Amino acid sequence: MCVVVPPSPSNSRGLRSHKGNEKEYIHNCLKECRAEIRSQDMDLKATALLKLIYLEMFGHDMSWASFNVLEVMASSKYHQKRVGYLGAIQSFRPDTEVLMLATNLLKKDLTATSMTTIALPIVTLPHVITPSLALSVLPDILPRLSHTSPAIRKKTIVTLYRLALVYPETLRAAWPKIKEKLMDRSEDSSVTAAIVNVICELGWRRPHDFLSLAPRLFELLVDSGNNWLAIKLIKLFATLTPLEPRLVRKLLPPLTEIIQTTPAMSLLYECINGIIQGGILGSGDDTAGKEEIASLCVNKLRSMIMVDGDPNLKYVALLAFNKIVDTHPWLVAQQEDVILECIDSADISIRIKALDLVQGMVGSDNLISIVSRLMRQLKLSSTTDRKNGTNTSSSNPGDSDDEDLETTINPTQRATEQIAPLPEDYRVDVIDRILNMCCQSNYAHLNDFEWYIDVLTQLVRIAPTPRKINDVETIPIVGRSNSGDISEKIGNELRNVAVKVQAVRGACLQAAEIILVQLKNDTPAGSFLNSGTLGPIAWVIGEYATELDAPEDVLGLLLQLIPRITGAESLAASLQAAMKVFSLTAGDHLAQWSAEHKSKVLLLMARIVHTFEALTLHPTLEVQERAVEFTELLKLTAEAASAQEASTELVHQDTPLLLTQAIPSLFVGWELKSVATSAQKNVPFPEGLDLDEPINPNLDFLLASSESPSFSTNEADEFDTYYHQRPPATSIASEPAITRLGDERVDTVSSYQQPTEASYLDADIVARRKLERLEKNRDDPFYIQETNSIQRSSTPIHNILQSSNGPDLDVDSIPIMELDLDKLSSGVSHAPTKLSKPPRPKPRQRIVVAADENLASSGQSTPKNDSENDVGLLASKAARARRFKQSVLGVDSTNIESLTLEGGATGGAYDPEAQQREEAEMAQAMKEVERLRLEMQRANERIQVAQGVDAAGTVVKKKKKTTAKAKKSSTIAEGDDGEGGAEGGQVVKKKKKREKVAAVDKSTGDTQAGADRNIAKPKKKKAKPPAEIE
Amino acid sequence: MINAVLVFNGQGQPRLTKFYTQLETSIQQRLLSEIFALVSNRPSGACNFLPLPPLLAASGTSQSSSEQHNDVPSLVTYRNYATLYFIVISTSTESPLALLDLIQVYVEALDKLFENVCELDLIFNFETLHAALSEMIVGGVVIETNLDRIVAGVKAQGTVAKRPVNESRGTALGAGLGMGGNFVWPGR
Repeated sequence: MCVVVPPSPSNSRGLRSHKGNEKEYIHNCLKECRAEIRSQDMDLKATALLKLIYLEMFGHDMSWASFNVLEVMASSKYHQKRVGYLGAIQSFRPDTEVLMLATNLLKKDLTATSMTTIALPIVTLPHVITPSLALSVLPDILPRLSHTSPAIRKKTIVTLYRLALVYPETLRAAWPKIKEKLMDRSEDSSVTAAIVNVICELGWRRPHDFLSLAPRLFELLVDSGNNWLAIKLIKLFATLTPLEPRLVRKLLPPLTEIIQTTPAMSLLYECINGIIQGGILGSGDDTAGKEEIASLCVNKLRSMIMVDGDPNLKYVALLAFNKIVDTHPWLVAQQEDVILECIDSADISIRIKALDLVQGMVGSDNLISIVSRLMRQLKLSSTTDRKNGTNTSSSNPGDSDDEDLETTINPTQRATEQIAPLPEDYRVDVIDRILNMCCQSNYAHLNDFEWYIDVLTQLVRIAPTPRKINDVETIPIVGRSNSGDISEKIGNELRNVAVKVQAVRGACLQAAEIILVQLKNDTPAGSFLNSGTLGPIAWVIGEYATELDAPEDVLGLLLQLIPRITGAESLAASLQAAMKVFSLTAGDHLAQWSAEHKSKVLLLMARIVHTFEALTLHPTLEVQERAVEFTELLKLTAEAASAQEASTELVHQDTPLLLTQAIPSLFVGWELKSVATSAQKNVPFPEGLDLDEPINPNLDFLLASSESPSFSTNEADEFDTYYHQRPPATSIASEPAITRLGDERVDTVSSYQQPTEASYLDADIVARRKLERLEKNRDDPFYIQETNSIQRSSTPIHNILQSSNGPDLDVDSIPIMELDLDKLSSGVSHAPTKLSKPPRPKPRQRIVVAADENLASSGQSTPKNDSENDVGLLASKAARARRFKQSVLGVDSTNIESLTLEGGATGGAYDPEAQQREEAEMAQAMKEVERLRLEMQRANERIQVAQGVDAAGTVVKKKKKTTAKAKKSSTIAEGDDGEGGAEGGQVVKKKKKREKVAAVDKSTGDTQAGADRNIAKPKKKKAKPPAEIE
Repeated sequence: MINAVLVFNGQGQPRLTKFYTQLETSIQQRLLSEIFALVSNRPSGACNFLPLPPLLAASGTSQSSSEQHNDVPSLVTYRNYATLYFIVISTSTESPLALLDLIQVYVEALDKLFENVCELDLIFNFETLHAALSEMIVGGVVIETNLDRIVAGVKAQGTVAKRPVNESRGTALGAGLGMGGNFVWPGR
């Protein structure tokens, strides 16, 4: 069943309900509207627009109709005009172009005679305002402040505030008038209320400016008797008291009185809130009075939670507690009982607030009780969730009919609903908080680690299953932890405990084993496993395998799990862990190399190889490398082991050394300690390390080319070749001569850009060439053969060389040769195999590692580049976050901060500075303009086409903007303070005049054109819109 | 200040959307569906304040300090009347309890304007809905809380059309609000 309901009864046909084909129907509707909105009949046009506005509400874009909106706005009939303005409110965006054309219309309607017509642009402006629009409508809207109707006055005040947000100069003109209205006791009460509301919005940004109003505001608070107003006033005072401590003494009596007497909960709450936020509780002197008021507040809050049973009061009381908890934790801790009650509330809003609080008041004595409460909650919800997961989704009445439509919306009655399971976000949040509470200040509050390990084990089970990867991309911002992270976080906690608390390591291992079993049972064979817990768990098992009760069982478990793991990180950790456990079980040198043991070990190795081999082509290098290395190593070991006879009763045979020595030595070393995240900062800088020195003068180019898409597609291969061509690690001591050859250098650079195959070929050629050269030089006495190459001390050859070449030849400066030979021989041996092998074979992996070292030591500032990139990344992330923040409903009022309201008094020190800055800015702008102009001129001289003229025009325009802006503010700063607000309209005119004069003054002959433009601009702006509208 | 006022019915179909900052239509729709998902899952006896929907929470928590906290919407207040939900999104400069009263005043004003207001009235007269709202809130700032003045202000703009009597039955019968087939809220 569907209906797109007629937005207006005047549309007699209406938009009928169509079952089944809503989409098509709406499509037709839109088509109809498209046609109707272009008609000449104004009534039809307006109705079509109204329909569009209605459809826009459902998400159907109507930006294409913005010009038609403008047409309807310009209608002479009020009821049509109103539709047009509504359309503008609902559909205009900052980038709507027709807004420019609307300026004149707005100005005209602002000066209309009909009160209802005036209200339309006033109400609409806040939704469409831009700085330039604000500038042009300001002179017309200011006089509305003294309109005879209070309704217009109050709307004007608010609109001026919104103008000021984008164009702060508005306030300079409007503020004196607004202030006058506030002071006027005969002013309409709702106008006063509107002013207070606006001041409240401005207040937290610039509290200094409103201190002088305190007496009047206080008077309003005491006398008005209007709760709405009082609430706002208290909120305002809360921002003022930190600046003016004397206010506290003045405010306390009336506030206390209100708290004790008022029947209005909202006012009572705001009083308490104001006392908290205003820092009245915190300020030092007069402790007795403070104590009294503090206990009064806290008791009131407590009773709001306890007695009333109104969930809203509970919620706001918790909000208030949340504000106190930072400064007065002891006051909140007294209320622990009621707050803990709230954690179990059915209402998630209340729970979240209580959780916030609890986190602030957790200590060693209540940690366990709090966490167990939360755990119980999680457990219950996860079980109920599983039970009726499907039921809840169908509980929404999808078949509502017309009766619903006709149900009277009774303002006194509210509907009820049924209980729903905990949402996943909340569960993740709770788990996160549990972990945070426990690990707070390095487990300071935690006494019972075994309990904690049990909690962690339990949490792994409760944690919401991670979303599928394609789900994750719908999550807008990474800022919030998603459920994928949370299980990893739990695993990390277990790992941290295992590392940090040696005493419970055994218990950790047990827990890890249990979790492994659990994971195995939860995911049937064939399905995939991507729990983030696995990585850290596997690490724990591998690292502390000695603590395992039955290492062989665990190894079997790991080998079963490995093929199912999807996460690359977990997989890499699991491979490593399996290998570690294997080295422990097989490498036990005390065990006799009996036939039984031998066959067991061989079997085990075969199993591991079988499992790992499947991963030798894994796309992630971390996994691939491990898999390849371990398979090869195990194959080798298996050969050795099968060759070794098993010891019989008569003959004792040792376990192969590979098993007892070689493999364990890979994994045995210093015990790993946990390292603080900030530890890196404490590592002293090595001497002679200059981080600012460029590693590679060509770095920019390299970085730029590394960002090119062609690079990213086959990154790995190109890196391989790149590294492959570099000398191996042993050659650091002295650079091989061969690398200084021209072609070599070209090769290394070009490998970044050339397609893979070509670079492969290049490497091959290079290797062959080296080989040829080697052959050629075989008999050259300067090229020492590899057998004795290692020795540096004087050898017979050394002596011969020295005697034949004289003492000035330093043979030690030619160690190049030996390294060359190494390199060449390795190059030769690898070259043929490489071509026949699959894309990323093992040998190259090894070379990658080696070359990496080389890179790090040849350019020591590599880390810096990394960190630089990181910083850049962070900055861009932050910028993105900020942009995002502003785009969703946030109102940016930062502009306002930089403006001083009452020039002389408060901004004495501020103005000259700003002026200077502006002047400097302007000077720079002028310079820039001059430079560009000259450039253009030259270009003009060279090429005699009209294009040059155009360009020059643009440049001048650009300059005009900056100069005009700078001029204006500086003019005002210079001396309009006195008369500034008196007559807004006049001031603005005067400003314009001055602006021109100043511009002309400052500009030299070159900028004359700019000044002319400056004068011409306003005219042009005025002239343009009507031409296009009419 | 108040960032947005939304009205939608039990199926999540919007009846009024008013954003006091300019917002992409698609983001508006997403916000609507996120809030509807939250609101439709409230247990009985729950308070009238919603946790921040993901869209707003992401932007709110990314701010490290309290520097700009007053600019960011931090409070989602709702009230449920019969088939309709009234939602106000606001920053911390508004008082939560006062906002509840504000919604109440708005609904009472509608009730006065339409006499026993029901969802159909809002559909057929959504222009009046907007008019009443703009008598109370301009540019996100509350300008009037007095019921009589609000009603007078709306009436001054012209007579409030009643729901078409001859049509109401027919339309209403076929009309249910099951636009759900077309406007599926992913959050549900």
